[in-house]
Amino acid sequence: MAGWSEKVLDIDLNTQTYKTYPLDMEMARLFIGGRGLGARLLWDMVGPEIDPLSPENVLIFTNGPLTGTGYQTSNRFSVTTKSPLTGTILDANSGGFWGMQFKKAGYDVMIVRGKSEKPVWIEIKNDVITFHDASELWGMRVFAIAQKLGQSNNKRNVLCIGPAGENLSRIASIMNDRERALARGGPGAVMGSKNLKAIVVEGKDRPAINDPERFKFLLYETRKLLAASPLTSQALPEFGTVVLMNIMNNIGALATRNHQQTQFEGAEAISGEELTEKYLVKNASCWACPIGCTRISKTEKVEGEGPEFESTWAFGAQCGIDDLPAIIEANALCNDLGLDTISAGSTIACAMELSEKGYMDSDLRFGRADQLAPTIEAMAYRTDIGSDLADGSLRLATKYSHPELSMSAKGMEFPAYDPRGMQGQGLLYATSNRGGCHMRGNMVGPEVLGLPKMIDRFQVQGKSSFVILHQNVSAAIDSLVLCKFTNMGVADEYFARILSTVTGIQYDTGEMTRVGERVWNLERLYNLREGFSRKDDTLPPRLLNDAPTDGPSQGWVVQLEPMLKEYYRGRGWDENGVPKPQKLEELKLAELLVRN
Amino acid sequence: MPTVKLYANLRKLAGTKEVSITGATVEAVLNELVRQHPPVGDVIFENSHLRPHIVVTLNGHNIIELGTPVMEQDIIAIFPPIAGG
Repeated sequence: MAGWSEKVLDIDLNTQTYKTYPLDMEMARLFIGGRGLGARLLWDMVGPEIDPLSPENVLIFTNGPLTGTGYQTSNRFSVTTKSPLTGTILDANSGGFWGMQFKKAGYDVMIVRGKSEKPVWIEIKNDVITFHDASELWGMRVFAIAQKLGQSNNKRNVLCIGPAGENLSRIASIMNDRERALARGGPGAVMGSKNLKAIVVEGKDRPAINDPERFKFLLYETRKLLAASPLTSQALPEFGTVVLMNIMNNIGALATRNHQQTQFEGAEAISGEELTEKYLVKNASCWACPIGCTRISKTEKVEGEGPEFESTWAFGAQCGIDDLPAIIEANALCNDLGLDTISAGSTIACAMELSEKGYMDSDLRFGRADQLAPTIEAMAYRTDIGSDLADGSLRLATKYSHPELSMSAKGMEFPAYDPRGMQGQGLLYATSNRGGCHMRGNMVGPEVLGLPKMIDRFQVQGKSSFVILHQNVSAAIDSLVLCKFTNMGVADEYFARILSTVTGIQYDTGEMTRVGERVWNLERLYNLREGFSRKDDTLPPRLLNDAPTDGPSQGWVVQLEPMLKEYYRGRGWDENGVPKPQKLEELKLAELLVRN
Repeated sequence: MPTVKLYANLRKLAGTKEVSITGATVEAVLNELVRQHPPVGDVIFENSHLRPHIVVTLNGHNIIELGTPVMEQDIIAIFPPIAGG
């Protein structure tokens, strides 16, 4: 069938062997690819008895039926696993080039099981799979590995872990194409636990397209739509994602000093405008992307991709630091060591608060830009204070008897948006299946930017319907797999048209949203099976009880309880957050529970 | 006099980050801003209405109604279409 390669590559590191077999196409029709397909496969493979860092956990790499076709932003891919940070289901996705190359190698899915006795790296050249000794590579950093293994954007693409993944940091990322990250939730630690250093891919087959003529027309039309949107043609290319810094600060929703404040006096100094004026070298793009939001920035010490908004915030406002060169360098260091920038920055901020309040014996202090780089190094290598910080803020704060100072949901650190000034974002964080995250829907669109139209950010009643819609659409886009920025120029219904054109299966807009809802509910079922429950759909006490004392969000806390009740009802779940049988029937998920 | 803060490409168009402008309502301030800095008008207005995705805040609160009165110490912020995350 066009779009999918219909082929699974299944690797067993215990024996360094592999097999290939056909993809279950009924499963593919229901879950499409990427995040959805990964969740469906993980459901069968990894149950509650399996420790995330044991050989029995798996890494499931998936692309989607659009990947590698050349459709705008069709470069992305996913990894799905049980998260060592949260214990929940985890999907992380990344752009760049590796996903496209993996698709061209002829696979929809790669499952990596077991654990190699010695460090190993894998080379994939279509049907030729080779296991290489990685003993000499173990310990090397990401940029050096990418160079040594021949990273070349359109020909040969390197995915790897850095020292953080080797040392099983629960906030370690998997890096691809040198500076792209499958960042959140600690997938790098899972890869490290398997003694797998890198996966290098070279592919030669372009995926088949069911209706090439119509596909060409849709490519043309999409190009026009992206060019016509001021968001995708001007805002993102000109200033990148960091342009959000000033507006979030202006409305009093920029989390500051571990969420102790909601405005940062140094926001202007770390803004997208400042980055563009003083440190931007040029723009860059992922494969087949006309938007080009990537920044190549340069300081006296480093030159490379980024930083994105969330990373700039994490090392900036969240740590009370207004030194942009130090932030750019911290971002580059995390990429080289293979650490999630959001969790790394927010964990350092948590340590700063613990230390300032005397709960932890360290000299970490808010505003100390000079402490960023040495702390990040220590985290990746688990040396000195870094051993306490390497597993994220919740484990750190719990060790020092103040878990309430971890700014996380389900153990995953939040991104930049302080939800006291964005009620919908608070509900979104609390209900996200992988923990505190802005990539499982993001209410910054309707609550701050007026996308597609402005709603009252402090409104509570009725907010859950927006959150549910955004969560479902995000799950659908993550299953195609496309970049969510495409959705700023191209309406949701367009995705059904392009998917139908590529695969020959007729999807309508309703079916795409239903795919997203199906994926969301399957992830919920997975977490319930792991023992998560209503009590985990919550936020730190600071966000629920401590209102900001000044600024535009003064007096507001997250009104979670009424929104959560409304949310469960809107999702067709019972009062404990368990999907009702009729909802599971409707989504074709009921049979999973019977078989389970 | 209310302060108007400009962001992203509006700064280049106006040649400044910030300007003080007299006006009794948000609309009056914006009209005066555009009179003083015509290129800004092309970005934020279309047929005398705010263009889609232009965000205007008054002391950090989104402004939907341009007739909202402004006081001497108020801060109006104007953001052109921006995105990210």
